[in-house]
Amino acid sequence: MGQLFLTTTAEDAGGIHRIGRMEPIIATENLKKIYRVGKVDVPALRGVDLVVQEGEFVAVVGPSGCGKSTLLHVLGGLTRPTSGVVLVDGNDFMRMSDAERTKFRRHKIGFVFQRYNLLPTLTARQNIALAQHIQGDGFNPHRFDAVVEMLGLKDMLDRKPYALSGGEQQRVAIARAVICEPKILLADEPTGNLDTENSQLVLNMMRNLNRDFRQTILMITHNPEAAAVADRIVRMRDGRIVSD
Amino acid sequence: MIVENILHRPIRTLVSVLAVAIEVGMVMLVVGMTHGMLHETAKRVQGVGADIMVQPPGASLFFGLTQAPMPVQIGDRIEQIPHVLAVTPVLFQFITQNGINLIYGIDLPSFDRVSGGFVYLKGGPFEHPDDILVDDWYARANNVKVGETLHFLNHEFHVTGIVEHGKGSRLFIPISTAQDLSGARDKASIFYVKCTDPGYTHAVMNSIRELLPSYQIHSIQEYMSLMTSNDLPALNAFITAMITVAVGIGFLVIFLSMYTTITERTHEIGILKSLGAGKRYIIDVILREAGLLSILGIFAGYGGTWLAKKAIVAAFPTLTVELTVHWAIWAGLLALGGSLLGAFYPAIRAARLDPVESLAYE
Repeated sequence: MGQLFLTTTAEDAGGIHRIGRMEPIIATENLKKIYRVGKVDVPALRGVDLVVQEGEFVAVVGPSGCGKSTLLHVLGGLTRPTSGVVLVDGNDFMRMSDAERTKFRRHKIGFVFQRYNLLPTLTARQNIALAQHIQGDGFNPHRFDAVVEMLGLKDMLDRKPYALSGGEQQRVAIARAVICEPKILLADEPTGNLDTENSQLVLNMMRNLNRDFRQTILMITHNPEAAAVADRIVRMRDGRIVSD
Repeated sequence: MIVENILHRPIRTLVSVLAVAIEVGMVMLVVGMTHGMLHETAKRVQGVGADIMVQPPGASLFFGLTQAPMPVQIGDRIEQIPHVLAVTPVLFQFITQNGINLIYGIDLPSFDRVSGGFVYLKGGPFEHPDDILVDDWYARANNVKVGETLHFLNHEFHVTGIVEHGKGSRLFIPISTAQDLSGARDKASIFYVKCTDPGYTHAVMNSIRELLPSYQIHSIQEYMSLMTSNDLPALNAFITAMITVAVGIGFLVIFLSMYTTITERTHEIGILKSLGAGKRYIIDVILREAGLLSILGIFAGYGGTWLAKKAIVAAFPTLTVELTVHWAIWAGLLALGGSLLGAFYPAIRAARLDPVESLAYE
């Protein structure tokens, strides 16, 4: 797999380190992440090798504590890996500062969480528009309308999260995640808090996003039915990928 | 998002706005009352109508601070100087009854020549040694009427007239009585000198200096310019101390408010970070929220100060509260600066939060 990454390096206009000949959109090699808890080192990832091609819908499954969420956080640039190689859209996370990874995340990554993570003081409309605001390109009404239409959110835009059902909140969260057209959508147990009907609705939407817009999706789940909608299922155990 | 956050936590918002309002009000009222009293005192002295004031060596421009009497006969010698129209001696008596007041012991005929005479709103001039004149502000503040008896300086005075305010003091007694009460027979604390024409002021001052080389001789214009907080010992220090306390209150409340807000909103900050919000964005959000709270507080402070002024003047009619745009702007800037400073550390702390830990925060 090393031949996939180690070619030439350059910096793009945003100062982000890029490596030439990057075919996969996500590629990790011997990725390790060790948390320090008190005086004890707790390995969360023990050498993950993963390649995801652009437009793929990958489900990562495994028992609790196997490192799924940590993998998602590393791939989303929320935390720095301890060692190994992480290339996301050709950007070498090991060589990027926190600020560079934040900038990268702003433009290239969309997150969907189990707890929806909508800002409680904002309406659905404001939650979605917030992502555009943070990205800094300003409010794009055409994109906004298209995403709202696609996710069926038109009638609930002026409601605050407490006035939305779990399924509606998750749809708003998906809208917020994709409003800026990220290269990768990272979903952490997106159906974990939903009933079967809403789970299916959310999974269908993610499936549609992947199929209709070639949205690359990496979804963490321990629900086999949810994993089944993906193109590919990666199994993790004890911080490693055990089947792919 | 900032407006929503402020509306979402009304008690915190109210407390923060109130603290900033108190800060602004405190600055404006302390400065307004200090300057107001100084300027009002100065205007009253100007209202005597003299061009020059003569005080003995070592006397203070702030009359209540010293009596420093000098012989009244000096007045006769000053009156002989060319271009002097009238000279009147005044002996001060400092009292603290019904607030701080300076009683003018005056020679009514010469005082009238210098000042153009009192305007009697009620009653008339002194007829007896124990008579007293009060100005309309004092009469209103203390509900004094003609014919009443007032107790000052272990002495009973009979109110014989209420005069229009603005002629040096609020209380006037015959100079002979003031001299008897203070054991300063034939003495005066100050001479007010009126020239035949204000254009002769400096010439007359030079002549008085030749006559009384070590005495303090000031034109009234000069006196007016010296009656500022800069020239009163310790007053500037007092104002500075009060402003520091006020700004400190605003700083601490905003600091505490934003600090607790950051703790309460750790999860929300994690969400912002997951959306790609950088440190600068987080700091900007926190500072803008503090700024908005501060601006609301500043305007509440302006309104509160205006109401407080009305209440103070209604309760204490002899007090003057001088609110100026200059100090309103300064108070606003101090409040805004203090608030932003108070919010800065919480903002930095928020920006440094770990995104993963923040997202996991309950």
